[in-house]
Amino acid sequence: MSVIQAVLLGILGGLGIWDSRVMGLCMMERPLFLGPVVGLILGDFQTGIVVGASLELVMMGIVGIGSATIPDTVSASILATAFSITSGLDVSAAVALALPIATLGQLVGVLVRTANGYFAHQADKAAERGDYKGVDRALWGGAGLFFIAYFLLVFLGALLGSAVIGAFVDKLPQSVIDGFSVASGMLPALGIAILMQLLFDKKNVAFFFVGWALSALLGVNTVGAAVIGTTIAYIMFQYGRGRKAEPAAVEAAGEMSDDLGGEL
Amino acid sequence: MADEKVLTNEESVMSPDIFKKTFWRSFPLQACFFYERMQNVGFAYQMVPALKKLYPNKEEASEALKRHLVIFNTTPAIVTFITGVAIAMEEKLKKAKEMGEEGDPESVNAVKTALMGPLAGIGDSFFWGTFRIIGAGIGCSLAAQGSILGVIMFLLIYNVPHLLVRYFGLKIGYRSGMSFLDSMSEGGIIAALSEVAKVLGLVVVGSMCASMVKLAIPLVLSIGGAEIVLQDIFDGIISGFLPLALTLGTYKLLQKGFKTTTILWGMIIVGIVGSVLGIL
Repeated sequence: MSVIQAVLLGILGGLGIWDSRVMGLCMMERPLFLGPVVGLILGDFQTGIVVGASLELVMMGIVGIGSATIPDTVSASILATAFSITSGLDVSAAVALALPIATLGQLVGVLVRTANGYFAHQADKAAERGDYKGVDRALWGGAGLFFIAYFLLVFLGALLGSAVIGAFVDKLPQSVIDGFSVASGMLPALGIAILMQLLFDKKNVAFFFVGWALSALLGVNTVGAAVIGTTIAYIMFQYGRGRKAEPAAVEAAGEMSDDLGGEL
Repeated sequence: MADEKVLTNEESVMSPDIFKKTFWRSFPLQACFFYERMQNVGFAYQMVPALKKLYPNKEEASEALKRHLVIFNTTPAIVTFITGVAIAMEEKLKKAKEMGEEGDPESVNAVKTALMGPLAGIGDSFFWGTFRIIGAGIGCSLAAQGSILGVIMFLLIYNVPHLLVRYFGLKIGYRSGMSFLDSMSEGGIIAALSEVAKVLGLVVVGSMCASMVKLAIPLVLSIGGAEIVLQDIFDGIISGFLPLALTLGTYKLLQKGFKTTTILWGMIIVGIVGSVLGIL
C-alpha cells in the first residue's frame, strides 16, 4: 500500500465519520458503502463490493441508537476491507481483524466525544454574548476534531497494519484459512440475531418464519420477500385502522432498547 | 418548493429562505456531540436562522441561544419535526412579548424534551429497524454477487424516505406547532405504523436468514459399509434447517446475555476447529 493510498483511506475515514456527524446520517458510514470505495482506492472495485457486503451482514446489528458510543464501524470497515484486498484474506478473517480495530475506533470515539466538551463550552460562551457566529464556529470545531481523529486512526492503521497483516497471513496453514471461510458463512447469523432482538415481540414473531419460508422453501429472493412483506404490512395497517387500534398499542413504539448489540 | 405559500401565510414572519437554511443546517446535528448534552450544539445551530430573524439584538439572542443549548438527543432523520415545532413556538413567544404579554420561554424546552423521546422511538423503528434493514437485505444480496447496484439500492431505499421526512418534517412541524403529534396519536396511527414497520422488517430478516447464512456439514459417515451423507438428512427434514437453527441458537445466546464479541469469536473458533476436523 502506497502512502498516497493510505492518505486517501484516511480521508475516507474522516468522511465516513462525518456521515453521521455532518451529513445527517445517510448510511455512507456503513461497510456496504465504504467497502466499494476502499476497493476503488486500492484498485480492486469488485472485491471491495463483495467484502463490503459480507462485513455489512456481520455489522448490521451495530447501530447507533440512543447516546451510547458503539464499536466503530467506519474504521473497522475501511481497514478490514483494505487488509482483505492487500493480503487476499478471506472475509471472516477480515472480520476477525476488524474487531480490535472497531474497539480501538470506539476508544477514539469516546475521546472525541469527551474532548468536544471544549467546543460545547465555547458554544455556551457564544450564547452568553448573543453571538450567533460563535455557535456556528463551535459546531464546526467539533466536526473538525471528529475528522482529524478518524483520519489519523485510519491513515496510521492502513500504513502500519498492511505489512504486518500480510506477513502474518503468509504463515497461516490452509486448514485455518478454510476455517475462516466456514466461519464467514456463519457470521451473518449473528448480525441477523441482533436485528431479531430489535424487532421481535410475541405478537409478530411468526413473520420472521414467513420471511424465512419464502426464501428457504419457495426460493423467493430478498426483493420478493420485501414486496410480500410490504403487502402484509399494508393489509395489517388497513385492518388495524378499521377496528380502531387499542390504546395499549400506543406504548409499543417507545419500548426500544437503547444499547443494541453494543459489544462488537 | 411548491408549498412555500402555505408556510408564509400572513401570520408568519419566517421567509422560505429561512426554512431552506434550517433544512441544510439540520444535517450536522451530531457534529459537536459530547456526552453531557449530546446534540445540543447541533440543535442550536439549526435554530440560528430563525432566531436571527426573531431576535436581532444581543440580549434576546443570548437568552434564546442559551435556551436551545440544553441537552438534546433524538434520531437525526426526524429532528426537523421538532425544529419546526420549536421555531413555531419561538415565533409565538416573540409575538406574545410584543403584545405585552408574559410568554413562557421554558415551555419551548418542555415541548422539545417531550417530543424527542417518543419521536426517537418512532424514528429508530422506522429508519434503523425498517428502511435500513430492507436496504441492507436487498443491497447485500446484490452486492454479494459483486453488483454495484446493491450499494446504490441500499443508499436509495434508506435515503429517499430519510430526505422526504427531513424536508417535509420541518414544514409539518412548523405548520401545526404543537397539534400535529396529538392528531397523529389519536387512534394510534403512529403506534400502528410502528407495529407494521416491524412486521415488514421481520419478513426481510427472515428471508435474509435463509439466503445469507451458510452452514453445511460435509461429513460422510460410513456405518457397516453404508455411506450416510449427514447433509442429505438435514435437507430431507427441511431445506435450510441448519442456518435457521444457527440463527435461532445465536438469538437465544444473545437473550441469555452472551456478549456479541464472545459469540463472534466463538463462531470463528468453531469454524476453524470444525474445518480442521473435517466436520464443517
